[in-house]
Amino acid sequence: MEKLLQTPIKELIGRFPAVGEILDEVGIGCVPCSVGTCLLADIVEIHNLPSEEERDLMARIAAVVFPGEVVKLPESKRAHSAGTREIRYSPPIKGLVEEHKVIKRFVALLPEFAREFDVRTGEGRELILAGADFIRSFADRYHHAKEEEILFTRFEEKLDILQVMQDDHRRARACVKELLEAVERRDPEGVERSLSGYAAILAEHIKKEDEILYPWMDRNLSTHQIGELFARFREVDDAFREERNKYGEFVDNLEKTLLARSREAIR
Amino acid sequence: MTGFQGCPGSRMVEFNKENLPEGTEGARVASQLRQWPIQLHLVSPTAPYYQGADVLLAADCAPFAMGNFHNDFLKGKALAIACPKLDAGQDVYREKIKAWFDEAKINTLTVLVMQVPCCRGLVGLAAQALAESERKIPVRYVVAGLSGEVLQEEWLEA
Repeated sequence: MEKLLQTPIKELIGRFPAVGEILDEVGIGCVPCSVGTCLLADIVEIHNLPSEEERDLMARIAAVVFPGEVVKLPESKRAHSAGTREIRYSPPIKGLVEEHKVIKRFVALLPEFAREFDVRTGEGRELILAGADFIRSFADRYHHAKEEEILFTRFEEKLDILQVMQDDHRRARACVKELLEAVERRDPEGVERSLSGYAAILAEHIKKEDEILYPWMDRNLSTHQIGELFARFREVDDAFREERNKYGEFVDNLEKTLLARSREAIR
Repeated sequence: MTGFQGCPGSRMVEFNKENLPEGTEGARVASQLRQWPIQLHLVSPTAPYYQGADVLLAADCAPFAMGNFHNDFLKGKALAIACPKLDAGQDVYREKIKAWFDEAKINTLTVLVMQVPCCRGLVGLAAQALAESERKIPVRYVVAGLSGEVLQEEWLEA
């Protein structure tokens, strides 16, 4: 069983697809993860299931991997398991979740954004470049930088879960690079492909952070570290205040523009 | 039902000593207290030990209920104690908590209270002080049960 716990999740699901279905059933969404290097032991710990659910999960996985065998299940390493699945964030982490809400509003507009704005026209190019600027400035230079330069540094750099998140950031940056190249080429299909790739990465990435990474970090940060993070984030927020408002307005206006266009189309 | 109609904070409860867990006989628990005084009326909110500190504001009764108070709550923190029910001058308390935020520039505040309703007044004072202060910091409150168990932990809106 110990060997099983130290197996990367993608390898385990590859050998035993039923394990992926079991994880899905308890809300552990490892199956679509593009990296999958997290160890089963770490995944179980990070998701902080109530003790009975965790024991039941391990028993079901053991039954798939060792059918018909009596397996001694591991004791939880945590002092106590969560009694509730409701997520309550600390103040600095809550700030990051609020930023995610702005990014998710933008991501939700991307399919229509890609359809509506034609890169072959000057006006279309201007709006697409404004979208790229939102991604590079608000999502990446502001939000992802707070994570990579401040939050993640409080944890062991080589942790699988952090590697997965940073890999998501790199893939998102690659999509923006492809988007800008598509704009240069006046290539509408390239624009749509890069925006759709970005939307898929970010939607999954934000869900992983909001539901798994951030609650796990909150459980492992000391009160002192929470205070330090809050102060550091506040410094960044103060320096970025005007731009933060500007990008908030950009998303507001984009929502209004696309809504007006869809109403126009219905008429 | 006990038939008791008065304040839950004053209701008489006797714990069954037969069922109490064993103490740690022989193992002395080192004190984590690193300052004096500690009563909120007696302390200066700008005393050196509050500057930039993680501060614990504990209801008077809480340390008696919590067997491992020193290690679980006091360790690494500057302390003040108060009773939101019996102490006079609660406005002074609110001003002192504000001074922790704005002048002593404390890092965090943890408010530790008992489960009895009157104890929530201490959380209310901290929330008012936070709302009125110019400088915001993370403020957490912890509610302890009569047997010392943690019943609730929440962050106040900064």
